[in-house]
Amino acid sequence: MMQTDEERHEVRLQLRLGSKERVMVLSEARVRQLRGFAHAVWREPFSRRTWSELGYFVMSAAVGAVGFVFIVVTLGAGIGLSVTFFGLAILAASVRGARGIGRLQRTIARNLLGEDLEEPPPFTSRPGFLGWLQSTLRDRVGWRAIAYSALKVPLAIFGVWFALSVWIGAFFGLTYPVFGAGTGQLKGFGVVRTLFPPGYLSVTSSGFIHSLFIFLTGVLLLGLAPWTMRAVVWLDRRLLHLLLGQDPITARMRSHEHARAQTVDASVATLRRIERDLHDGTQAQLVALAMRLGQAKEKLSAPGEVDLDEVRRLVNDAHGGAKEAIVELRDLARGIHPPVLDTGLEGALSTLAARSAIPTELSVTLSDRPTPAIEAIAYFCVAELLANVALHAEASRASVGCAQHGQWLRVVVRDDGRGGAQPALLGTSSSGLRGLADRVHGVDGTLDIKSPPGGPTIVTVDLPLHA
Amino acid sequence: MSDSIRVAIAEDSAILRDGLVQLLADRGFEVTDAVSDPTALHEAVDRDRPDVVVVDIRMPPTFTDEGLRAAIELRRRHPGLGILLFSQYIETRYAAQLLADDAAGIGYLLKDRVADVSDFVEALVRVASGGTALDPEVVTQLVGASRKTDSLAGLSARERDVLALMAEGRSNAAIATGLVISEGAVEKHVANIFTKLDLPVSQSDHRRVLAVLRFLDS
Repeated sequence: MMQTDEERHEVRLQLRLGSKERVMVLSEARVRQLRGFAHAVWREPFSRRTWSELGYFVMSAAVGAVGFVFIVVTLGAGIGLSVTFFGLAILAASVRGARGIGRLQRTIARNLLGEDLEEPPPFTSRPGFLGWLQSTLRDRVGWRAIAYSALKVPLAIFGVWFALSVWIGAFFGLTYPVFGAGTGQLKGFGVVRTLFPPGYLSVTSSGFIHSLFIFLTGVLLLGLAPWTMRAVVWLDRRLLHLLLGQDPITARMRSHEHARAQTVDASVATLRRIERDLHDGTQAQLVALAMRLGQAKEKLSAPGEVDLDEVRRLVNDAHGGAKEAIVELRDLARGIHPPVLDTGLEGALSTLAARSAIPTELSVTLSDRPTPAIEAIAYFCVAELLANVALHAEASRASVGCAQHGQWLRVVVRDDGRGGAQPALLGTSSSGLRGLADRVHGVDGTLDIKSPPGGPTIVTVDLPLHA
Repeated sequence: MSDSIRVAIAEDSAILRDGLVQLLADRGFEVTDAVSDPTALHEAVDRDRPDVVVVDIRMPPTFTDEGLRAAIELRRRHPGLGILLFSQYIETRYAAQLLADDAAGIGYLLKDRVADVSDFVEALVRVASGGTALDPEVVTQLVGASRKTDSLAGLSARERDVLALMAEGRSNAAIATGLVISEGAVEKHVANIFTKLDLPVSQSDHRRVLAVLRFLDS
């Protein structure tokens, strides 16, 4: 044990600072770490990422310069002539062109930086030239691209000064002994000129040592170059995401559109279900009823002896059918809009809880009345969830809580069943919980299911009080 | 009865199916099969060779137009089999598809029509014997659809009435009773219609319907 302890690789550094003497002991792990770091720094100028970033900077700055000139010219001309119709058209062309420049910049960034930039939805124009003009001038994607182009220019100028100059300085430094010897100084501009002004080497003015020092300056700059460029590209990445990436406003609009589409789908599905129920149930019942009564009528008016037993049987069947049709129609009407909801959610939920096949506890604390649409969604959620509890949960008890939290309504349905419920299993059809979830999302609400295997299952539905 | 008409029924609603079976048996038909989906219908027809089938348009699995497709398929496989489509709705498109080739032995009725038992039975007998039975609703829709073309503009109101009843598949005698006019008057109207619409006169009832529908469809 002692041996291994002695064999541990340690680096002892004795430093003498003024009169103090310090001893630094670096552990093996620490040494490995430092060596790794140095290795990384040394390797960085030759890494793929470094060269990609340099390539990106040069390409996107070139595109940015061309784009900036285009935008300045068209925007200037457009605004200058904007009192005329022609000026507006030039302005629109400017926005449209900026969109194209933005797409090009995104493509370059995606390919060289590997940035995950989502393409915006393609430009859609209203019909007609005026429609095109209006859509173009309102195109957020285009205006954001103009903003990017405008900010890209100072960023690129800063990048040339702060990062590209370092690369170029490194090149001149490293090649000095071959090409530059005799000029007496390191060619440089930007930050390089600031760090190493002419005459920074006061030691010597010529000869081998002088060349060596400039060469070493080049090595130093080569080590620095990836990092200054990375800083500039980092700023550019932020700008890309801010102005050429997904637009938060557009994204929110799209999410709203999606929610609305889901709501429309859900209501179409509901209508289809009602039609099916009417077709298969009540309509069929009534046709059968009319058929029996028609038969009875013909038997009664037929010449000769009337078979009263037969007629009695037909009327009896018709009577039974009529009563069944009434029940079916009532159930169906309740499924569309329970009349009890008109008196408020509390009464409607207590009817549901009382009708539930599993003993169900109910607590409702509401100080404001939600809008009818919210009441209906809350009601049908509870109805569907209690039906699921009865069908799948193998529960002995269930509870329904309905409480107001500020401007929100929270409905919680829990059961002590076996759990393991999954949204997809709870309602595979649009008429099930799936359809309800769509309706809940349609009013910006949320539906959350917690159902670990073994239970209990807790489903929480949050709805805005007013929608 | 050895010469009773043999009927197969395809209807997915149990109440209606049982009601129809009982009604038709009561009226002296021989109900060979009562099934609830198209596959079973094909098997039943292949096996029992009924004279006529009563087919619900909406049946499993998708409850859209299975019955109609089954009818077109049956028509192809068993020429001469009478087919009475039976539906809660009248869709002009379905009627047009069904009557595309030949209106002989084809019927298309609203389910409501079973309430008037005698009319329904009459229509079924007509279809079984190669005639045509179209619901007045179908005729109204088809006539309405063709009105756009103004092709019936030349007909008088009475002639249109006669045309509508003709399209339902009724004989001259039945039209005369329906409109409370003499059979001779009906014959005159029919002749006028054919002349005005430039259609060749034919003796057979269903050919008349076919001609009328061909015209209405154009």
